[in-house]
Parts: sequence; C-alpha cells; structure tokens
Amino acid sequence: MSTINPDLGFKRKLTRLSGSQLNQCMQCGNCSAVCSLAPTERPFPRKEMIWSGWGLKDKLMGNVDIWLCHQCGDCSTYCPRDVKPADVISAIRQTSYQHYARPLFLGKLVSNPVWLPLAIAIPVVVIIAILFLAGTFKIPPGPVDYSAFFPHGLLNGTFSAITLFFYLLASFGIGRFWKDMKIQTPPGEAGRKRLPVFRVLREILSHSNFSGCGSRTPGKVAHLLLFFGFTLLIMVTLYAIWATVTHHYPLPITNPFKILGNLASVMIFSGLGIMTWQRLFNKSVFGKSAYTDWLILAAIALLTLSGTLVQLARFGDWSIAYHLYFFHLVAVWFVIMYMPFTKLGHIFYRTTALLYARSIGRK
Amino acid sequence: MGDDQTRNTISETDTLNLPILIIGGGISGITSAVELAEAGQEVVLIEKENYLGGNVSHFNNYFPKLCPPSCGLEINYQRIRSNPRISYYTGASLKNICGTDGDFMVNIQLKPRLINNSCTSCGKCAEVCPEERPAKLGRTAGEKAAFINNGLAFPMKYCIDPEVCKREACARCLEVCDYNAIQLDASPAEVGIQAGKIIVATGWNLYNATLIENYRYSEESDVVTNVEFERMLAACTREKIKLTRPSDGLTPRRIAFVQCAGSRDINHLPYCSAVCCSASLKHALTLEAEYPEIDAEIFYIDMRLSGRNEKLLKQAEEKERITLTKGKVGRILPGDEEKGLVLEVEDISSGCKRKDTYDMVVLAMGLTPTPVAAGLKVNEYGFYLPDQPSGMIPTASCKRPMDVSSSVKDATASALKAMQR
Repeated sequence: MSTINPDLGFKRKLTRLSGSQLNQCMQCGNCSAVCSLAPTERPFPRKEMIWSGWGLKDKLMGNVDIWLCHQCGDCSTYCPRDVKPADVISAIRQTSYQHYARPLFLGKLVSNPVWLPLAIAIPVVVIIAILFLAGTFKIPPGPVDYSAFFPHGLLNGTFSAITLFFYLLASFGIGRFWKDMKIQTPPGEAGRKRLPVFRVLREILSHSNFSGCGSRTPGKVAHLLLFFGFTLLIMVTLYAIWATVTHHYPLPITNPFKILGNLASVMIFSGLGIMTWQRLFNKSVFGKSAYTDWLILAAIALLTLSGTLVQLARFGDWSIAYHLYFFHLVAVWFVIMYMPFTKLGHIFYRTTALLYARSIGRK
Repeated sequence: MGDDQTRNTISETDTLNLPILIIGGGISGITSAVELAEAGQEVVLIEKENYLGGNVSHFNNYFPKLCPPSCGLEINYQRIRSNPRISYYTGASLKNICGTDGDFMVNIQLKPRLINNSCTSCGKCAEVCPEERPAKLGRTAGEKAAFINNGLAFPMKYCIDPEVCKREACARCLEVCDYNAIQLDASPAEVGIQAGKIIVATGWNLYNATLIENYRYSEESDVVTNVEFERMLAACTREKIKLTRPSDGLTPRRIAFVQCAGSRDINHLPYCSAVCCSASLKHALTLEAEYPEIDAEIFYIDMRLSGRNEKLLKQAEEKERITLTKGKVGRILPGDEEKGLVLEVEDISSGCKRKDTYDMVVLAMGLTPTPVAAGLKVNEYGFYLPDQPSGMIPTASCKRPMDVSSSVKDATASALKAMQR
C-alpha cells in the first residue's frame, strides 16, 4: 500500500503562482492529447495536473516532463475547464528553482518582491566595497575614463569569483535534481545511453522544440533573438575582460567586437520587446505572467539599456557616465550572479533535463 | 403521497374555456396535445416544419426501449386523427404573442405547402421535380423540392419547398398530378389563435460542430454528428442498404465515437448534454447487432448514464467489437495519404498517448436550447426556466437536455399543469 502525503502549502503556492483552479481539473486528458511535445508513453501534462491538485511535491520536483514543455499554451487554449495546465507547469518550474537553490535563502531572495530591496542592496554594497578597497571611490575630473573610477582588474576578478562561487552552489542543486529525475523517471529496459550532448546542443541551438510546439512561432522568434543576442554579449564581454588585461581598453566604436556587442543589444531589445508585448496583450496564449517573469525581463532590459548608455556616455562625455556604469554593474550582478536562482535558471535545469530525457530515450 | 385531499382530480369543469396552444409538434408537443385533448381540453398544435414528429421521426430508434420511432409516433398520430379537440398547423411560424395568462392572442404565419389536401402521396411530383433541396443537417442529399418526410409523414401528403421551387417557370409537377393537388400560386397565410394557456415545446438544437476547430467537421466529410449518424442508420434500416461512409461510399470498418463534442467544455457548452453517452452506446450496440463488419470505439471523459440507460453500458462492456476508452479526444487529423482519420487522445487507463486511424468519426454533439420565444425567461445557457411569469409553460428539452422518455413524462406533467387554473 502506498501512502499519499499531500503538501497543501505547495498546492497553495502553485495555485497562487499559476492562477489556476487546480480542483476544477476533471482529468479528461485533452491537454496531453493536444500537446505536440508530449511523449507517447506517460504523456504530460495531465498527470502533472493531478499531482499538483493533490499537492504531491516530491513527484513534481524531479519531474523531467515539465522541462520538455516549451510553453506554446495549446493545453490552456483547449482546456475544457480553463485550468491552464501551461501556467501550472510554468509555476512548477518556478518552484523548482527555489526548491533546488542552495542556500535556500538565494532562491527566496529573487522569487519574492518583498526581498527585492535586499537583492539590490547586496551588489550595491559589494561594488562600493570594491571601489573603497581600490581607493577610487571619487568621480575623476576631465573626460570620461571608466578605469579611473572602476578598477577593472579587481572588479572583473571579484565578479568572476563570485559568479563561480554562486554557480558552484547551484551545481549542488542540479546534482540533486539529477538524482530526483532518476527516481521519478527511471530509465526503461533499454537503460541509459551515454549523454547525448551534441544532440541536446543541436536541439537548443536550432530551437527545434519550439517548432514542435503548436501555435507559438512568435515565441520562437523572440527566444531566438534573446538567446543568440545573450550568447553574443557574453562572448563580447569575455573578449573585453581579456582586452583589459592584454591591451588598451576601452574598445573604439569601430572594433569588430564593439560592433557585435551593439548588434547583440539590438537583438536583445527586439526579443524583449516581442516578449513584453506578448505577455501584456496576448495573455490567452502566453498565460499568466508571474513576478519572476517580469523580474528577469526587466533585469535583462536594464542590463542592456544601461550597457548601451554607458557606451554613449563615454563617447558623449556625459556627466552621469559613472553613475550609469555603477547601475550597469548592479544589473550585471542581477542577471549573471543570480541566474541559477531566477527564471534564467532554466538554462541549467532545462539543459540538464533534456540531457537526462534524451539519454533514456524520452521524446 | 396518495392523499386524496391533495390529489388533483380532472373533471369537465377543470378544462379552460379557451383552447391551449402548444408550440412545437415534436414528440413532447404531441404528447401534451393528446393528453390534454383526451382529458377534454381543446388544443391547437403548431409546428414550424411541414410535418409533425420532429427529430424523433427521423431517428433509427429511441429511448428507453430502443424502439423504432413508428412504435411511439404512429399511435400518437392515430390519437390526433381521431380526436376532434386537436387542431394543428404545420409550416407555422410564430409571429407574436399578445395578452396575458388566461387570455393570449397568438399570431402565426403559415408558409405555403404548394400542395393541397387532395394529395394522395402518389409521389409523381417528386419523380419529375428537377430541383433539389440543399443537403443540411440530417437531410438526405438529393431530396427533391417536392418531398415528403421520409421518416413518418404526418400529414401523409407531399409538399413543395417554396424556397427551392421555381414555381410557374418549371411547373412539371402540375402536368403529372392527376388530382389537381398542386397549387404553385399559393401564398403565405396568417392566422390568429386565441389561447388560454401556452405550452412551449420547442425542443433542442444541435451545437454547431464547425465551431470545434480541432475536430475538423468542416473539412472532413467522414466526421459526422451523432444526429447525422442516427439519420444515416435510419436510412439504412428504411431502405435496407449497407452503411457507407460519406467520402467514398465504402463500408467503414472502424468507427470512433467522440464524446463531449462541445459539451462540458468552457470554450463551447459548459454543461453536460445528458443524452449523448446513452446515444453513442445505442449507436455502438446497433452497429454490433446489425453490422458485423464494423468495430466501434467510444472515447469518453466519464460515461454518464441515468436510470435504465445504465444497462446499455453493461451490454456494451460485454461486446467484443465495442471498445470503451477513457480519454477526451484532443484532435482529429487527416490520415496518411488521405486515408481515414487519426484521433489524438491520451488513453488514461494505460497512460499512453494514442494516434489511431479510423474510417469514420461520429461526434457526440452537445444539445443547445432553441431560440428564445418572446417574453420567456431563460437560464445562463439559454434554456427556458420552468416557471415563467407570463404563465407560459415550457416543457421537455427546451428546459434542459433530456432523452425522449424523460421528455414524454415532462410533457404529460406540463399538460396537467396547463389544465390547472
């Protein structure tokens, strides 16, 4: 005999995050039937809906299938009871970031608007501390020269170290996630294959799973723009860090990397624009937007915007140039350091889940 | 119960001075009419189609005993024919209702039949008629403008569809009719009826299947509604022919029944239509008994059967060629190489997603109320409320979806209600 331990707090949380009346679900299976990505064996999201309704947190935290979903919204559109399975799955993913976050405090920090001031205060204090330590905490006279105010070597070094530390913490969570997946969805008789790294990489780069999704080509375009814009910016940033060490920094506007960086910010702005528009005006397809959705959209937007302004301020010798740069650094912290604990954590969790799913032949 | 003091006794004095008007000449309206007339009450029955009998007259068989419609309708037609207290109008549409409870004045418009009472239903007019009525829900394709209800015609006379007939420009039927029954110049007439009470028995409509885009009713001719399927079965029984599918005339081997097509769906009809589960079981059992080459599979959310209809489920479960699968059909797609229809569904009992091919799909469509007659109060779904301030008495399936046996009981109850002052 198996015992069922409903976690009512978890159910209440899902209800709050998704806005779904979980008890209205009549388990008809229409959602699984219309989903283009649901595997033949044990398809989703009907089973996730009953587990959510029963508050079975342990079944949902190590769940592979919620990461196979690419949020096309077909299940919600055609749901005869309007229980919005797409929003419930999205809420389970949000809960997963917090569940696997170590220390737990980091997950809480970025999931609740109450903690937002503290989440902002931490990077502000750290950056000011670095400036004090370097003894450059005084706006220099003359034309804008960021290195006179911001000690690049120390800043880059500290930021990289903190990022690595945070990601190391996150890797423990991902390890636990992997273990849970093995319990929840054990490999079939065929066993587990070697990690299909290239296959998953191809899936991610081509966004092929988005095409599998029913009615959401606009979602694919926006995500492609953001994905490649973001990847490009990270590459440009790494180059810039290397440039500060090896040769003259800042880069002139004609430098190919500088041009690439600006192209990337255009891509990101376009992607963000589409996403925001869809979240505001196409709720029937894109579902309910939660705090984490808006937080991460805003953080990326502010990061890109402040980056662009920092560059303009340098060329235009603006008096607020240093303030803008400071703001930019806080935004960097928000997007990069907090990444595993916010919605952007899907970069790690979805990739891990895809690796596991494909290795056991789940598609 | 059974207390003599509270029991209503019907006597001559209980009948109203004015006749009772019954709107709708289907099985419920007919039932109310004969019950009232046989209790001594004058009644006027009006029906918008050219024949009485309504939907039931087109059925293959009906609840509760799965009799053919002739079984119940013929005896009722006989009761109407032999009772001088019943007068009826067919082809009658309601124009307006004036007055109050106890003294209504109702104006109706009669569309011309173009064939008068001299008709002997020899059928020569239909033989020469070159015009065809457009195929419609359950209407056989190829039906001529001069036609007779191919179920159980009452009155047993031909009529001509004035919207299709070319009148004097054609007039071929005039030449062949030996009884001077054709009157192509007949025009609509108006009649005023004074009535003490009004019973509304306007029945049900089928939900519009084209609105369920995932089921491709508009695109696939082999996706039919349950009412169309019922009439196909009736035509097969009547003409002693094999059941064929609409697209290519071949005999289907596998037929899928899709339950809750439109019902229990917030995007369509939020309520349960109550009769469709029984109807699909009835269809499957008919196929099992009469078409040994056809397998039936019913896809359902829950099997909802009431009262004695429960036994249909027990019967179906015992049959090898009937499969019952729990799971709402998500999509119907055209099959590979345009052969058959693929149903996407999660088989909830096994927890697997299935994409199987069928030769034909029957949508167990939900029922909707008929459009509102003036001054009647409706509930949130458009069904008439049982108690009307105007004193009119809605009866049977215009109040909520119900099967024939429940409708007949309700119509009898409404007759009693109408006779009480």
